[in-house]
Amino acid sequence: MSHRILIIDDEEDIREVAALSLETVAGWEVVVASSGAQGLARAIEHQPDAILLDVMMPGMDGAATFRELRKNPATARIPVLLLTAKVQSSDQRRFADLGVEAVLFKPFDPLTLSTQIAGVLGWK
Amino acid sequence: MEVSKGQSPDKQMKMDSTEHTVLNEALERMWIQFLPQIEERVTTLESAIAAISTGPLSTEQHEAAHAAAHKLAGVLGTFGLTRGTELARELEIFYSSEHGAETAMRERLISIAAELRAVVESRK
Repeated sequence: MSHRILIIDDEEDIREVAALSLETVAGWEVVVASSGAQGLARAIEHQPDAILLDVMMPGMDGAATFRELRKNPATARIPVLLLTAKVQSSDQRRFADLGVEAVLFKPFDPLTLSTQIAGVLGWK
Repeated sequence: MEVSKGQSPDKQMKMDSTEHTVLNEALERMWIQFLPQIEERVTTLESAIAAISTGPLSTEQHEAAHAAAHKLAGVLGTFGLTRGTELARELEIFYSSEHGAETAMRERLISIAAELRAVVESRK
């Protein structure tokens, strides 16, 4: 089954590799955004099945973007998975408190990223 | 909330070999495309470490080094450079908490930056 994923990440290389991975391996439709603000707009416009959200971004960071997504009725129910290079336990506790579906870690394996996402969200 | 760090090998084996080839070829193109900015980040780290001999880093230099290390930690492993991610992560942790301790750590920082450069060069 095809899904539509929104990737929000300010780093072009990560964004492009993740998009390539999800399109090539899983055949999913991918929408990308390079900032939290752009991500909010694209989430409202494209109504993705899930959002892959970077944590550390300039301006509106991942946590702030997540809170805005939850505040807006048009995006409040979209599952959000954080994508982060932060591995320190204090960061992980902070992410857990946000209420996201899952935390995925950079670097990710492009061959298995879609399987990780599908597993977390119960997609077959 | 689920914290996902990978998946079982049996799921990876189900992936079609054509998808592997297509993905790997595309990843190679992306590596070439993004290599200049990856090398620029390594240069940022080398410059920050070289600046230690002239005194403590400015806040701007420190933040630039932290950002470069964070981005490298997130991306190098995605291109198969696991050791690169380990080295960059060590620098990221250092620059996230040890502002002012560069002089004491100088030899170690020089060693990490040199190995990081070699890891990136090895994939060219």
